[in-house]
Amino acid sequence: MAPLDNVAPLVKVEGLTKSFGDNQILNGIDLEVAAGEVVSIIGPSGSGKTTILRCLNLLERPDGGRIEIDGQMLCEDGANGRINFAGKSEIRKIREEVGMVFQRFNLFPHMTALENVVEAPMAVKGADKAVAKARALELLDSVGLSHRADHYPLQMSGGQQQRVAIARALAMDPAVMLFDEVTSAVDPELAGEILLVMKQLAEQGMTMIVVTHEMGFAADVSDRVLFIDHGLVIEQGKASQVLGSPQQDRTKAFLKAVLERTPMAEENADSPPVETEESWGTGAGVDESEQIASLESEVARLRQELDAATTTDEPTTDEPTESGE
Amino acid sequence: MDVGFIIDIMPEILEGFSTTVRLFLWSMLFSTPLGLALALMRLSPLGPFRWVAGFYGWLVRGIPLILIMFYVFFALPEFGEAFLLSPFWSAVAALSVWTASYQAEAIRSGVLAVDQGQFEAAEALGMTKLHYMRRIVLPQSVRIIVPPFTGNAINTLKQTSLATVITVPEMSLLTTRIISREFNALEPLLALAIIYLALTTVLVFAQQGLERAFRLKA
Ligand SMILES: Nc1ncnc2c1ncn2[C@@H]1O[C@H](COP(=O)(O)OP(=O)(O)O)[C@@H](O)[C@H]1O
Ligand SMILES: [Mg+2]
Repeated sequence: MAPLDNVAPLVKVEGLTKSFGDNQILNGIDLEVAAGEVVSIIGPSGSGKTTILRCLNLLERPDGGRIEIDGQMLCEDGANGRINFAGKSEIRKIREEVGMVFQRFNLFPHMTALENVVEAPMAVKGADKAVAKARALELLDSVGLSHRADHYPLQMSGGQQQRVAIARALAMDPAVMLFDEVTSAVDPELAGEILLVMKQLAEQGMTMIVVTHEMGFAADVSDRVLFIDHGLVIEQGKASQVLGSPQQDRTKAFLKAVLERTPMAEENADSPPVETEESWGTGAGVDESEQIASLESEVARLRQELDAATTTDEPTTDEPTESGE
Repeated sequence: MDVGFIIDIMPEILEGFSTTVRLFLWSMLFSTPLGLALALMRLSPLGPFRWVAGFYGWLVRGIPLILIMFYVFFALPEFGEAFLLSPFWSAVAALSVWTASYQAEAIRSGVLAVDQGQFEAAEALGMTKLHYMRRIVLPQSVRIIVPPFTGNAINTLKQTSLATVITVPEMSLLTTRIISREFNALEPLLALAIIYLALTTVLVFAQQGLERAFRLKA
């Protein structure tokens, strides 16, 4: 879904800075995400991607800058160079609007899948038990896990746990969803089932900010891709632009390195389809393994394009396109 | 060693059994919430809470239990009538104060052992701290807390014997009376040891049951 020019952005980040000790991690990040937009953030390990997401719900407190979500101010620079934060209860209110899915799932291990999903709506939104439960079952169904509702996290595969985690976040009816490398802690053959759920979510119009190393997914699903390095937005634009014909040398070098390390398109070409025993709530009639395969072939296509782009020795500048140092 | 003599004196020692058990149960009843409160205070972001709880632990764990017993029984009444407790309740007070300082550490280390990701997931969902401590963190720490917690409970059970020094008629006191009357220590002490062992064995089984009950379903 393309961002609409006349609508205020749902997520608005200006000049976000953050350091840990002497380590300056974010050097002034600007980011605007419109309602319904899917933005992928890519970049080398340690470049600050996770930190950006964690600032968006104040799991990490920025040192400077301004964050506004759905018209509500989370933090902004005040007078005398100090940053002001929203009050405790306002922060909780905004967190209800911001769903987060973590790299390592962070499901509550002492609760079943269903209990994981109903806990927050009941506790935070005071939802009625029967209503919350019905909605949770609906959500578990939409991630293909209605038959796992009474299972505990440790009884499920990583791919299933992560889909429960997505359902848990969705149960709060968030305005925006944050995904932090949500496939990197699962076996590669289970990544597809998570990506498929995210793709369906994107198609339903969810606003998403996705930190990912899955270039196929970034290419296929996102409206916009941001390349981050050393806490700066080095390059951004349509997925096809940034991934297909990157302008900055750092972006090119990164993409080349990533795609060389992910030979999954060839390897998985003749592997069996993923978990067909499961009933998927949404996407009925569409063969999910086909969709996953199409994501994977996207990676192969991108690699070819990239190889072509980086071997033609056209001159490029190394200046960041925006938020210069 | 005279087995018949052991059997003869058992009933007399067992007259103190219920006192020993009541000392233990009351002490557990008071020390557990106190220990929990102290643990949460030490984990608090608020300095004064941390300092008070830290000082408590440093003080109580730094002095012998017998001293706390003497203090409660002999010294505290000097502050006023209200502090004049019977020997039994003085022992309960001292054991509770003492046990709580150790339970606080057991509970605190249990909370610290819960994955940071659990706190973050709960906060990201907008839960209040009160809610996620109660529903997410503490239920997970229980599993980790059970072994040191029962270890402390076993210690408290054995330390009820110190109530002897302030004349509480529990099993150890009755046993020392038998020893001085009969001029014979071997059998009475053996009988006493057997009873304590039986009690602590019950606690060991309780620990195993609790560990099983709180094991994560996998
Ligand atoms: N809590 C923290 N304390 C100290 N350093 C941190 C902390 N969190 C992240 N960092 C550092 O910040 C840098 C960026 O981290 P992160 O945002 O996780 O990068 P990315 O997600 O892009 O790999 C890393 O060098 C990391 O070591
Ligand atoms: Mg990261």
